[in-house]
Amino acid sequence: MTMTIQTAAPVRAKRKLKLARKRATFDTTLGRAFLQIAAVAIFFALWEAGVHAGYVSAFLMGSPSGIFATFYKLILSGELLADSWITLFEAILGFVIGTIFGSLFGLALWYSVFVAKLVEPFIVAINSVPKIALAPIVVLWFGTGLISKVALAVSLTALVALIAAYQAAKDADVDLQSLMISMGADKHQVFWKAVVPSTLPAIIATFRINIGFGLVGAVVGEFISSQRGLGHMIFLASSLYDLNSVWVGLFTLMILGFVLYYVIDIIERTSLPWKQATTSHQIQV
Amino acid sequence: MPPKQVQLSVANVSKSFAGKNGDVNVLDDLSFSINESDFVSIIGPSGCGKTTIFNIIAGLLEPDSGTITYRGQEIDSLRGRVGYMMQKDLLFPWRTVLGNVLLGLETRGVDAREAEAKAHEYLKQFGLAGFENAYPKTLSGGMRQRVALIRTLIMDPDIPLLDEPFSALDYQTRLYLEGVLKDAVQTYKKTVILVTHDIDEAVALSKRVVVLSGRPARVKVVHEIDIDATSPVTARNDANFATYFKTLCAELDIQTEKTA
Repeated sequence: MTMTIQTAAPVRAKRKLKLARKRATFDTTLGRAFLQIAAVAIFFALWEAGVHAGYVSAFLMGSPSGIFATFYKLILSGELLADSWITLFEAILGFVIGTIFGSLFGLALWYSVFVAKLVEPFIVAINSVPKIALAPIVVLWFGTGLISKVALAVSLTALVALIAAYQAAKDADVDLQSLMISMGADKHQVFWKAVVPSTLPAIIATFRINIGFGLVGAVVGEFISSQRGLGHMIFLASSLYDLNSVWVGLFTLMILGFVLYYVIDIIERTSLPWKQATTSHQIQV
Repeated sequence: MPPKQVQLSVANVSKSFAGKNGDVNVLDDLSFSINESDFVSIIGPSGCGKTTIFNIIAGLLEPDSGTITYRGQEIDSLRGRVGYMMQKDLLFPWRTVLGNVLLGLETRGVDAREAEAKAHEYLKQFGLAGFENAYPKTLSGGMRQRVALIRTLIMDPDIPLLDEPFSALDYQTRLYLEGVLKDAVQTYKKTVILVTHDIDEAVALSKRVVVLSGRPARVKVVHEIDIDATSPVTARNDANFATYFKTLCAELDIQTEKTA
């Protein structure tokens, strides 16, 4: 018995090729940037048009033109930069302190299984408290200045780093450690040469999450009580129904988060050259 | 020929592990000895505890009972004096080739400049000059295992313990590395213990082959391999090779039937 298989393959292949060619013109850094900027522009244009047509309330939603005017005004007066700088400083300080202390503590737990098992339920318990709920106490303890915001950011970031570092240290390849012991290495050498380097990717991976948490801590701290910072600015503006200023604050936070993310990305890529090293061929799926 | 001197002897060693259904006896009253400048292969059915023996000699595990004697002295283990090489190359991915080779010397606290000079010398001898700054990820399996071999030998261990070091490699690379190993052992005059499941490899490389029975491991028989060849490839062409191979196969087959 013979079978005839009908196939649309030639036609489909041609269409696929055409699509691929079209895609290729946009699939470059410049092409993608163009598409991304176009998407943002269309979004703002629709919003503005909606406000003008009366579909969107400028009072409750603000308007792009109003946002840009406010943005321009706040840049010129220097307020926006001053507020941004303060929030950024609080966030980074909280991130650095929280991540360093959390990671060190988590790594140190590798040294003693006994201590690790002892403190594990406490860590889980503390971690299960929404740290934001601590904000009022933190303000009571550390006042309304810089320290309370940093403390809040530290409380958010430290446990993430601690748990990641501890887990990574526990998961460190036992065979590498055995190899070092057979060479006559002591516990400190095993720790520094085998355990710590193998946890670095996991610890650096927490940077991405923690830089965001640093910003959360700073902004929430400013919400509760503060005279300065983007959180304060957003809080004040929304209580005055100044939606354009609220959006300016939010977009500025977005830009800060965006920039910090890419800074972390660069740190990640340059600090682990051995992860980047690849063989000459790259696979295409 | 002078009488053979015993370098290492393992006597009446037992070891059991706690398992789901009570203790699992892995080694039971195991004894064997290794002569000076010996090349001993240990073969046996898989899971018979070959790696456990190595872990005990290397000091990674403590035996439940039994003694280890080294050059006439009873010792706990040869920790720090053996070189351990496994099927996995166990190169540290964050260290370059040079960094990996230096690992043991660093651990021992050897002067950095001296260690590096030695490392370069070894890398050159094993044909890895020019790869000092490459990361393991970029190397082929054979090259990685060569780096692991250098890392083992540069420590000048009393006894290199090789645990199926070539079994993850393709046949050609394995033949090549067996040659590299045999040359290195002769150059540095080492006593070597090799665990393998490859009878072919055991006969081609060793002076003696220890056959273990299934779990719990006991020494079933020890064969002296009388093949005087310059390389593992020529050893495979030796007139006696086939006979040894057949004998060992037969011995292992009987045991697989028993344990199955």
